[in-house]
Amino acid sequence: MSSGDASQAVALLAGLELLTAVLLAWRGPASSPRGPLAVQGFALAGLVAVIGVAEGEPVLWLVALLVGVLKGVVLPTLVVRRPSRAAGPAAPPAADRPATVRPVVRPAVVRGRSRVPLLLGAAGLVVVAYLAARPVTRVVTGATGQALPVGFALVLVGFALLATGRRSQSQLVGFLVLDNGIATTAFLATGGVPLVVELGVSLDVLLVVLVLQVLGSRIDTAFGAGAPGGTDLDQLRELHD
Amino acid sequence: MSGEVAGEVRVVVAVVLQTVVVVVAAPFLVGVLRQVRARWEGRVGQGLLQPWRDLVKLARKEPLQASGSTVVAWVAPVVVLGSGLLLAALVPTVTTAGPARLPADLFVVVSVLLVGTVALGLLGLDAGSAFGGMGSSRHLTIAALVEPTVLLAVYALSVPVGSTALGPIVEGRLADPGRVVAPAGVLAVVALAIAVVAETARIPVDNPSTHLELTMVHEAMVLESSGRDLAAVELGSWLRLSVLLALVANLVVPWGVATAGDGGPGLPALALGVVAVVVKTAASGVVLATAEVFMAKLRLFRVPELLTGSFVLAFLAVTGSYVIG
Amino acid sequence: MAAVLTAPLAAGLAAGFTAGPVVGPALVWVALLGPALCALAVLLLRRRAVVLVADVVASSVVLLCGGALLAGVADGGAAVVTAGGLLRVDPLAGYLLVVVGAVALTATWGGLSPGRARSRRGGRYTTLVCLFLAAMVLAVVADDLGVTWVAVEGTTITTAFLVGFAGGRRAVEAAWKYVVLASVGVGIAFLGLVLLYAATRAAGDPTLSWVRLVTDRPAVDPTVARMGLLLAALGFATKAGLAPMHAWLPDAHSQAPAPVSGLMSGVLLAVAFGAVLRIQRLDAVLLDGAAVRTLLLVGGLLSLLVAAVLVVTQRDLKRMLAYSSIEHMGLVAVAAAVGNRLALAAMLVHLLVHGLAKASTFVMAGRVLAVEGTTAIADVHGLVRSAPRIGIPFLAGAVTLLGLPPSGLFLTEAALVVAGLRSGYGWAMAIVLVLLLVVFVGMGRAVIAMTLGAPAPAGSSEPAAAATEALSAPLAPVALALAAACLLALATPLAGTLDSVVAVIGGAP
Repeated sequence: MSSGDASQAVALLAGLELLTAVLLAWRGPASSPRGPLAVQGFALAGLVAVIGVAEGEPVLWLVALLVGVLKGVVLPTLVVRRPSRAAGPAAPPAADRPATVRPVVRPAVVRGRSRVPLLLGAAGLVVVAYLAARPVTRVVTGATGQALPVGFALVLVGFALLATGRRSQSQLVGFLVLDNGIATTAFLATGGVPLVVELGVSLDVLLVVLVLQVLGSRIDTAFGAGAPGGTDLDQLRELHD
Repeated sequence: MSGEVAGEVRVVVAVVLQTVVVVVAAPFLVGVLRQVRARWEGRVGQGLLQPWRDLVKLARKEPLQASGSTVVAWVAPVVVLGSGLLLAALVPTVTTAGPARLPADLFVVVSVLLVGTVALGLLGLDAGSAFGGMGSSRHLTIAALVEPTVLLAVYALSVPVGSTALGPIVEGRLADPGRVVAPAGVLAVVALAIAVVAETARIPVDNPSTHLELTMVHEAMVLESSGRDLAAVELGSWLRLSVLLALVANLVVPWGVATAGDGGPGLPALALGVVAVVVKTAASGVVLATAEVFMAKLRLFRVPELLTGSFVLAFLAVTGSYVIG
Repeated sequence: MAAVLTAPLAAGLAAGFTAGPVVGPALVWVALLGPALCALAVLLLRRRAVVLVADVVASSVVLLCGGALLAGVADGGAAVVTAGGLLRVDPLAGYLLVVVGAVALTATWGGLSPGRARSRRGGRYTTLVCLFLAAMVLAVVADDLGVTWVAVEGTTITTAFLVGFAGGRRAVEAAWKYVVLASVGVGIAFLGLVLLYAATRAAGDPTLSWVRLVTDRPAVDPTVARMGLLLAALGFATKAGLAPMHAWLPDAHSQAPAPVSGLMSGVLLAVAFGAVLRIQRLDAVLLDGAAVRTLLLVGGLLSLLVAAVLVVTQRDLKRMLAYSSIEHMGLVAVAAAVGNRLALAAMLVHLLVHGLAKASTFVMAGRVLAVEGTTAIADVHGLVRSAPRIGIPFLAGAVTLLGLPPSGLFLTEAALVVAGLRSGYGWAMAIVLVLLLVVFVGMGRAVIAMTLGAPAPAGSSEPAAAATEALSAPLAPVALALAAACLLALATPLAGTLDSVVAVIGGAP
């Protein structure tokens, strides 16, 4: 693979990641985030593989496989699947006091805020990312440097998704986009952190998503809502000063 | 000197041929769209020729105008048709060659589009009926949101070429197929495709086959037109649809289009170009119709969201084309 | 308590240390795997006795190993390196291990609860506490900053269910916010580490090993390295509870079970701040150190301000203690920003003393909750008279936290102010003093209202099981911890040890 091909492939995959991030921001409250997240995960895995070929590092092939399985399959699946209320370690205290659980009301139309400000904000954040990444792009050599702003952009868009997400699922999606952005930056800027760190980081992300998923289902139980995408987190305002 | 004149003549021939092809094919494309939709919905369908038959029938009839309508009522259909014809001549569908004096420049094309849009909007307002006004207001709202996207998307495509003319953009993609899959190019084409769907009043922005007063946009504006006027308006709208679809098809799959070459395109190239553009546009029409079957029309309040999304994509394409190529 | 109790043992071990190079690495592994094995034992055995004491055993193991390691590596001893350089115990790591062990022992011993051990979820609680300890130990002893990051994120994961342990709306709300904010904050730290790694890679020697960075001083690109170090410091500071990234802290601390609140407040913040200290050292070595210093100074003063405003208006006891933690982390951050030897020594002692006092107070707050059934400040009166076994230690803990003279915090705060004045941070010290006074008044008023004066007329004569348990719970851990908190700062033999720890984080004289 020539360096021209490599940089073209890197650009394409990075563009795909950016596109999926925008699609996730664009997504209506009722549509599933699984597809775009999976595509984003596979694009990231592809990126790792391309870098592995370009730099001749076979260990990156292993990492690409790991990333592909984790971010392309496992995490997107986890995000859309609620652990069942009865099973799993969550076993919320609902069984102790079923009387206090409110009846489940499913709204016929999922309320959603307009996505316009978020979308325009995302466009602005991408510009910010390009500016912020400039000093880093200077020190990174090889085929990958020019695509680096995409990693930053993903981090910022993920932040925006997380901050504006009203449902547990949207916040989780924001977290994953943020994490994908950090991983993209890591692979593009450094060709991957040391393997032992990479393994630890992957394990941590997996566990955090699992923990958040279990907590999300506990929130559903405690607040008695069953809307798609989880309870409206605006209800979480019991703790304040 | 004579060579130049000959080249000029060949270019004019090519452009005239392109216009004729588009005019002949546009009603067929609409027929394809309707037929595909009918088949998906389990109906027999009206056949590919029906739009042509409708046009001929309407063209024979005398236009009736509502009392109180003004000069706009008969000028606007002509302008709509004229802008459609001009688009057919300017936008590279069969050939990327174009007359030097009338460049198929991005801004020219968008202006011509806009002239047609405004004429249609005025036509809806002219008779003073409630539906017409409602349709016009929606139509212009959508247009105002679409134009920036079209400008930005084509601008993003023009960055690697260094020219805002559509012909060289398509030629550039033909010469360097890598640009077709470059992220900026992909984003721009996706944005442009959404803009085209909105501009030509298709699902999910408008439903071309509805007469439900709460949702219709395009149909509401032409309610008061009849006879020849209606034929002109319909043909103008179909021309827009065909030209824009063909443009997107040419951007995605540039192969087969007749390039300007040294002395204008030759006959074999033009023949190939005609076949290619017919096949590509028909194929994209099938895709569009199929997608429409599986999609619901968006509520009008959601349309700005869709268009903002396509605007953001176009914007990303512009930033992306400067940074990641 | 730490050094007092373990000094003889540590001295013996330190002797063995110099004799053979095996003992040190073995101790590191014992400190790391001990808590993990305790967690495994709880999972496998599920006996009530094991569930009850496993976390106490784990804390003791950490404390003993930490004390021995500190005695070995301080005063000119060589750092203990193992696992191919991934783990490394220098005096700072040894000292933080002692902090972790001592505070954890206070919190877990004081939080012993046969009732919880009997309950269905008691096993899970103890397992998670042990794993939490293991993650903190790993965060402290890791030399590779990437491993430190993994461990700090691990503390979030292990504490998530502990914060939500009580169940109910408030607990899950706190847990959700805690995990989201902490993960994002720590994620930012990872982005910073990635940039740092990119900078070292461009300088020809890709590494995240702290000691290699400090000793080799690669010629990194200053812009990228500064960006990376700032983001890393910001991310770890989130976990250390510095304003304005503190939003998770009051919620999590007020909803977690009392011993867990004590652990989080007393050690988790200190461990996370240890990572910040290492980042600050890198900033000073690789660059000029101004960026992270400014960040710490601003964050510290802001934390003090937030704490001062919210302590005064606070209505909930555990939230008030949480804001007190923010206040103390603010002080620690300001001390780190001042950065001379006196300030750094004061900061280190402050971390330990605050941890001991805060863990004790949280433990007592948990007993207040068990007896009174509420943590609302307005609903608790005259504890000293109605329940002296709770009221008096609670008052003692709160007074220690407030920094009244017998408390070690008085000395450290005074040392900080002197150090600040000496280094030309007069204006900052003026702000610190004013805000400290506000916190003192606000918290003092609440504590006095709760403990002194006449008790409210007793409503029900039948005390709940939890209340009975709380009234008979051991006072020794709290008494020992508070005594240590008062005496430690005076212990002159510690001066040499402190000097060697300060040398690691580079105090200018």
